[in-house]
Parts: sequence; C-alpha cells; structure tokens
Amino acid sequence: MRALVRRASWRHLWRHPWQMVLAILGVALGVAVAVAVDLANTSAERAFRLSMANLAGEATHQIIGGATGVDERLYTRLRIDAGLRASAPVVEAYGKSGDETLHVLGVDIFAEQSIRGHLNGISEVALQRLLSHPNTVLMADLTARRLGLAPGGRFTLRLGGRRTEVELTGVLATSARTAAALDGLVTTDIATAQELAGVVGRLSWIDLVLPEGEQGKDLRRRVERLLPPEVTLVAAAARTEAMTQMTRAFHINLTAMSLLALLVGVFLIYNTMTFAVLQRRGLIGTLRVLGVTRAEIFRVVLGEAVLIGVVGTVLGIVIGIVLGQGLVRLVTRTIDDLYFALTVGSLLLTPAPLIKGSLMGLAATLLAALAPAMEAATTVPRTALTRSELERRVRSLAPRLALLGALLALGALVILLLPTRDLVTGFVSLFMLILGMTLIAPAVVAGVTHLLAPVAGRLFGIQARLAIRGIAASLSRTGVAIAALMLAVSTTVGVGVMVSSFRSTVAVWLDATLRADIYISAPSLRSSRTASQLDPQIVQHVRAVPGIEAIASGRSVTVESGHGLTEVFALERPPGRGPRYLLRAGDPAAVWRAFGANEAVLVSEPYAYRHGIGIGDRVRLRTDDGERTFPVAGVYYDYESGPGVVLMNRELYERHYRDRAIGALGLYLRPDAAMDEVMAALRAALGGGQEVLIRSNREIRQASLEIFDRTFTITNVLRLLSILVAFIGILSALMALQLERAKELAILRATGFTPAQVTGLVTVQTGFMGLVAGVLAVPVGLVMSLILIHVINRRAFGWSMQTLVPADVLIQAVLLALLAALIAGLYPGWRMARTRPAAALREE
Amino acid sequence: MESENIVVSLRGLSRSYREGEQTRVVLDHLDLDIARGECVALLGRSGSGKSTLLNLISGIDLPTAGTIRVDGVELTALNERERTLFRRRHVGFVYQFFNLIPTLTVEENLLLPLELNRRDKGAARRTAIALLEEIGLGDRRTAFPDQLSGGEQQRVAIARALVHDPLLVLADEPTGNLDADTGRHVLALLDRLTRQAGKTLIVVTHSKAVAGLADQVLTLANGHIAAQAREVAW
Repeated sequence: MRALVRRASWRHLWRHPWQMVLAILGVALGVAVAVAVDLANTSAERAFRLSMANLAGEATHQIIGGATGVDERLYTRLRIDAGLRASAPVVEAYGKSGDETLHVLGVDIFAEQSIRGHLNGISEVALQRLLSHPNTVLMADLTARRLGLAPGGRFTLRLGGRRTEVELTGVLATSARTAAALDGLVTTDIATAQELAGVVGRLSWIDLVLPEGEQGKDLRRRVERLLPPEVTLVAAAARTEAMTQMTRAFHINLTAMSLLALLVGVFLIYNTMTFAVLQRRGLIGTLRVLGVTRAEIFRVVLGEAVLIGVVGTVLGIVIGIVLGQGLVRLVTRTIDDLYFALTVGSLLLTPAPLIKGSLMGLAATLLAALAPAMEAATTVPRTALTRSELERRVRSLAPRLALLGALLALGALVILLLPTRDLVTGFVSLFMLILGMTLIAPAVVAGVTHLLAPVAGRLFGIQARLAIRGIAASLSRTGVAIAALMLAVSTTVGVGVMVSSFRSTVAVWLDATLRADIYISAPSLRSSRTASQLDPQIVQHVRAVPGIEAIASGRSVTVESGHGLTEVFALERPPGRGPRYLLRAGDPAAVWRAFGANEAVLVSEPYAYRHGIGIGDRVRLRTDDGERTFPVAGVYYDYESGPGVVLMNRELYERHYRDRAIGALGLYLRPDAAMDEVMAALRAALGGGQEVLIRSNREIRQASLEIFDRTFTITNVLRLLSILVAFIGILSALMALQLERAKELAILRATGFTPAQVTGLVTVQTGFMGLVAGVLAVPVGLVMSLILIHVINRRAFGWSMQTLVPADVLIQAVLLALLAALIAGLYPGWRMARTRPAAALREE
Repeated sequence: MESENIVVSLRGLSRSYREGEQTRVVLDHLDLDIARGECVALLGRSGSGKSTLLNLISGIDLPTAGTIRVDGVELTALNERERTLFRRRHVGFVYQFFNLIPTLTVEENLLLPLELNRRDKGAARRTAIALLEEIGLGDRRTAFPDQLSGGEQQRVAIARALVHDPLLVLADEPTGNLDADTGRHVLALLDRLTRQAGKTLIVVTHSKAVAGLADQVLTLANGHIAAQAREVAW
C-alpha cells in the first residue's frame, strides 16, 4: 500500500481524536465484557476442575456413600481384607471464616502419599502437630495471607452452625500452577474434620487407585464384593464431569449476555467507520482521481479498522481483566446459591479467554468495517458526489434491509419451532431475531419521520419540522444510531420483563410453598438448602416450647442415581399441614395420596425436564439397601435448585436410608400463640448450643427473594454494560451527525437562528431519535422476553414461569432511551451553538 | 490533423443520465480530436456537459455510447482498475476547489502521484522540490493546505497535476474560485508549465481570459459542440 495514501487517511483520524477514542472505547467495552465473563467462567470452571483434580489426586475411583457418606470401618476392611494399600479416606465439608468460604478436607496423613501430593512440602513438626493436637489445620499460603494468619495463629471456623477455634500449624507453599487448586483449601486430620463437621465415624468418600488391565479388574471385583449396599464405586473423572455439566447452562447464559455487549459494540464500530468514510468522501474522491485504485482504498479503510480494533482490543482485555475480578465473585456466588459450594480465590488468567477476546474484538471490528470499506472503495472518483445522493442510496437500501431483517426474524421463529432442547440453538434464534429487528429499524425510522415531520411542523413550527426531517435526511447515520440504542434498550426490556416474570413466579411459589410460621435451620453455604444437620437435642428443645401446634421437618442429602448425583429432599409433613407444592403435572389429590402412602416420589420441574421424566416413570436411587427405583407420582414447581430435586416422604426415606438427621424444621403455631413470644422462647431454648437460624415465614421469604435478586446481579451488570456501549454509540453518531451538519447549521445561524435555537434544534432531533429507539425497543424487548422466558430459561434450567409485563419496565425503557439520547446530544448541541457561522460557511 | 499527432479522439460519444422517469442527454454523438500539446478551452452554460466530458476523457466516467481513445488506448474497452491505472500514469487534474489532500503537507501532495507511479523516492523528492521552487512555494513545503491562501493552493494543485509528467492535463474552472488578480497569475502559471512541458491541456472555463490562451475553443450546448474556433482572439 502506498505510504502517502495511508498517511493521508490516518492523519484524518488523528485530527478527529474524539471519534477515534469513542470507536476504540466501543470495541474496548465490547471486548472487556466478553473477556471478563469468559475469564470469570473459566476461572470458576478451572478452579472447580483443579480442586477436583487436586482432590482426586492419583485416585482413579472413589467409593461414595448414600445419604450420610461411608462408614469409616469400610476403609479399614479395604486395607486389611482387600489389601488395597493405594486408598485414602476423605471427609469433606465447607465452612466459613469471616466472609471467606473454606473447603475443609480431612485426610489420613499416612495414606495421603499414594493419592495426593500436596502435603509433601509440609514439615514433619507441622504434620506431627496435626496428628497429635485436635483442631489444628493446614492451608495454602495465599489463603493464610488473605486471612492475616501465620503458622501458630488461631481463627474461628464456622461449620454447620458450629463455631470452633482452630490453629494453623503450617502453610502449603503454592506455585502459579497449584494456586487455583489449593486456594481456600483447609487440610486437617480426618478425626478433626469429623469433629468439625459433626460426622464422627463417617467418611465423605474413599479414594482408590486401581491399576489398569486385568490386575485392576480383579482388584475392582474384590473391592466390590466388600462394599455394603449403600455405597458404590465410581470412576473419579465421571463425577467431576457430572458436576461440570450441571453449571454448563449457567455459563452459556453468561456468555450469551457478554456477546450481546459485543454485538452492540459492532454497531458502534460500524457507525464510526461509516462516518469516517462519509466524512472523507471528498478526500477519497480526489485520491481516486489521482489514480488510487478501489482495492487500495479498501485496504486503507480496513487498515484503520485494524488499528482501532487492535488498540480497542488491547484496552478491552485490560478492562476485562479488572472487570473479571468483580465478576468472578458474582459467578461464584451464583454457583454457590444454585449448584454447589465453590471456592475461587482469584481470577485465573489463562490464555484462551484472552486469545478468544482478541480474535472476537478484531473480527467484530473488521466485520463492522467491511461495509464502510466497500462504500469507500466504490466512491466515484470525483468530488461532485453529493451527500443527498448518498442518502438517497441509503434510503433506497432501507426497504431491502428491512426485507432481509424480516426474513431473519422469520428464520428465527422457524428455528424456535424446531423440536430441540438445545440451548445454543435457542440463543442463535434469539440473536437472529435481534439482528433482524435492527435491520428493520432504519426503514421504520424513515417511515415514522416521513409521517411525523408535517405534524411536528404544524404543532411546533419550522424548528421541529427541520429537526425531524434531518433524521430522515441523514438515515445512513441516524438509522444505525437508533438501531444500536434500540438494541440495547430492548435488551433491558427483554431481561427486565424476564426477571420480573421470574420474580413474581418465585414470589407466588414461595407463598404457596412456605406454609409454616417459623423455620429453624443450621447455617449452610447454600443459604436456601437444608444440607446441614440440626443437633438431635434441638428437636427435643423445640417440641418443649409452648405455642407450637405441629412441626414439619426436612432433610436434604445428595445420593448417586441413574442420572448422576441427585439431591433427595426428605419431607415430614404433619397431618393436614406442610408445604403445598404447586404441581406442574399430576392430579393433586392422587399425587399427595401416593406420596403420603409412601408409594411414590415427586420430582421437581428442572429434574423432570433435564432427565425427561414424567408421571409414571421411575427414578433409580442408590439407597442404604442398594439401588432402588421409585415411581414418580407428580412433577412440582421448584426454583431453588438448579439441577433439581427428588422429593420423598420422610417415612419412605427412613425405610431406605439409615439417616435420622434433620436439616430444618417448619413450625406451625397454635392460632392463639403470639409469634414474637414463640420466637423469643425458641431463642432462649436453643441458645448456647449449635448455632441455628430461627426465621419467621416473612424473613425466610425475604431471604429467598434476596438470593433470587443476587442471582440476577450479574445479569444486571451485563445489561448496564450493554447500555453503556450503546450510549457511547449514540453519542458518537450524534457528534458525527452534528459535525457533518455544521454548514447547514451555520446557514441557519446566518439566517437568524440564535445559538439557543440551534441547541434546541439539536436537542429536539436527538430527543426524537431517543424516543423512536425507545418506542421500537418495547415490542422487540417483549418478543425477546418471551424467548428468554419460554425458550432460553426453560432449556437452560428447566424452569417454567408466568409472563408478567410490568408497565414500569416499559416506561423506564422509553425514558432510558430518551435520556441517553438527550444526554448524548448535549455536547454536540453545545458545540454547534458555539460554532462561528462565518468559519463554518467558509469551509469548503 | 495528422492521426499520429492526435492525443484525444472521441467518436459518437453520448452520455445520458436517468432522472426519475426521464432521461437527460448531456452529450449527444460527439466527435472530437485534440492534438498533442494543444490547449483546448471548453465553454458552455452550467449543466452543458463540460465536466462530464472531462470525466469521460479521464476514464472516471463511462459513456452511454461511443468510443474514447487517449494516446491510442481505447478507454471504453478498459475495466475500472485499468482505467484507474491509466489515469494515474497519464492524467493530471486541476479543480476549481483545489482538492488538495488536507491531511498531507504541500510536498507530500506533490509526492503522492509520484509514489503512486512508483518513482524512486530520492528522485521523486528532488522533482517535487524543484517544481515547488518553480511555482514559488519552496518555502511552504511543510505547510498543510489549510495554511495556504487560495492562490497558493491552486499553484500547488497545478504542480501536483504536472509533477508525474502526464500526457494530459484536465482543468475544471481552475480560476473559478480565485480573485481576478490571483486568477491571472495562476492562469499564467498553468499556461507556462503545460506549454513548457508540451502537455495537452483541456480546460473547462467560463472565463474569457482562460479561453484566450487556448488553441481551440469549443462551446457545448444541448449535447453538441455548438461552436468551434481555432486561435480565437477574444
């Protein structure tokens, strides 16, 4: 490429720095969101995989138990009777110190060498102390630093409602490779872990190393002969994979949201590059006269896009890493709330998200610059090509774009009707629909302005007519700006309606399900679940408190099933009372009769959807008596658990599991009992023992909705970022537009418009653009919300929900678009009003 | 006129434009020969097709019918890229509004056609500097176009049109945007430089002064050459 041609073109960019800065910012924000989400996703997944890998170590298989884990005597039998030396027992629990979630791992130090190597660097003295002193632990150096601890230091560990003062006897040195796996891990002797978790005599699982080949098969057979019916032997990798699959939909959802921000960024780049080309049509025309070929012009414009793309991408990656730090905490919290406890100490900087982000940023920039570059290359080599001719071309293109948009939207609907449960297909159709709607936008803008200009003129005078005609006259710029803003605002409507619908569905569901007056549970990491146990004496103390008419109890355990690890919720309902689960499928009378008669279980809607289970099907669960199948009597609505739940009557549970523990209690008060008095009596009766949460119906309802809102924090953050990108887009478009109209505005000034009138003209125009974008965003957003509610959420989580369209979401959206456009129009308006007409008129 | 001396040959040249439902004929079966080293002035009312004719001769535009031969090359048979490369090598342009590249310095504006024609960098620079000295702007080499007066800008534009030694110089109202005095100076420069180098010059003008310098004056009206005068004294 000719150096001078390139120089002439690039100097133009340098002379309009704001234009370049906005374009770079658009790319940067788009890339930043994509990279941040990717990094947060990858960090969570990698931390999970690494901790699982670290946890599994060399283990090829694991012996896992039923509801209450594995009896520790089995371990002794394995080592002695089966001669299996390469085996190690594990007690696993999650606790807290301050706000820090800690993964507590109880191990047999002597058996560890054959399985995990992470204790290798620990001094003999520290290991001796770990064995000989109760409540002593080891942790990774970076976790200790974060907690402000040094060897010998003491801290309070909260686990299942128990607070224990523990001593840090040594730290595990971490490298860059092992940091993610060991961060947040607290290793202790197996006896200490059993004490801390309140599971004396039980193990979470036993790790085994079984060699390959015949010898391994033979050993496996010997091991299996020793196993009691409640435990099972599974491949270590299969368990990790099953847990990873659980969160897949959640990660896909986040990625899709981040891509939306990038899509808005693409519009911004397109806008900037188009303007850069239009602004230089004279210069390009002269270059063409001088003999610069189309291909050379094309390369120059694409070269600029590459420059903007590279700088924006680099900046985006830096912002993405910063943003990722905050996002990883939100992602981890959501996984904690919905799926399982996860410790992610810090953001893991792996090359893949950065490379992906870079490629996406560059590809998006080049894609967005392609049309403007082609436009530049086909510029007629003379300067006589008028702006009006260009706009005429764009206006004639608008109906064709609208047709293409309509076809895309139609294609999206066809894809939606395909009989598939694939989430990615759902997102593809959503994106096709969004793209289709944005392509239709310019034609709608042209039509609306054509209809409204005379009306505005009659109502508000020549100024309003001028402003509205200006929008149609510069459709190449205004159409794109309105489409970008509409896209971002419609996302707000779509996601807003989806969240509102979801929230109201959950609120109705909570009202129906939470029937007890007071709930008592042990603190748990997953705040909505009842996996922790209440001390048996608590139940006795509660029964002695006056004013209580009936007590329901719940116990949540995770067991192996035909569908991987499954949460079983054992429910004891007092006669005539208890939670009223809303049924999605099944006749209530028949369902509850079968449930009460211990003839069948119920499955939650996500579980049924995920595994294709319906009424009359059977679920296979590993019980303490071996594998058993249970008929399904009904499917109930549940919005607590991502993977889903099998609901079982307590009596049936106790028939198959020797677990008698209780996770939570639901208390029904006598009609004459005062809630405050009973609460006070409960607090007095239960004080001093295990730490428990005593919450009224209202409090637990509120806590559940808080968890719900927390789950959507990340969605809201991403939504706001999309709007920010769109705002920059419309600011850039408006500044470009007004700058281009400098001469026209100077003529108005020369003919007697005051600076205030010019500002007014610009404000009316930008306000109208915002209004059109806002109004168009409403139907597009509503269609998006329907897809999000009935396709995406259903396919991702298996949840069905009622559609609720709150008027405030729609009004807010229109106001948001209007406000964004008006704010974006402030600076161009001010600038245009200050332009000296003589200078603008003199400019050629 | 002897055929080997002909630089521009137009035969049956027509150009019309669609304007809505109507077709507007700008040039209608035009025949014209222009000799090497000749200065031709094109006169006519606004919209008579003068600029269109320049665009056709330079290969920027294509005729609706007819042929255009420049230095024996039939432009109408070339594709877009070939016409661009032909223009790059053989044509120099001077416009009413100068059309200098605003983001290149005066010297860079002159270097641009040389670079496009792949001239040796050192030689190109010497040529550009020499030409700038000749037009009296040797001391404004590093200035950008917007730092020059209208007359200075047009002198640079003339230098740029000639710097790569083209066969043909096309000028579209070169003094139209200048005051009378500056216009005279610029015209004198254009005449001197083109004649000195033996270039063929086709100039679109409304000015009698410009037409006065021409060897041949053509007046366009209704798509035809309405009047043709050789060495007219105005």
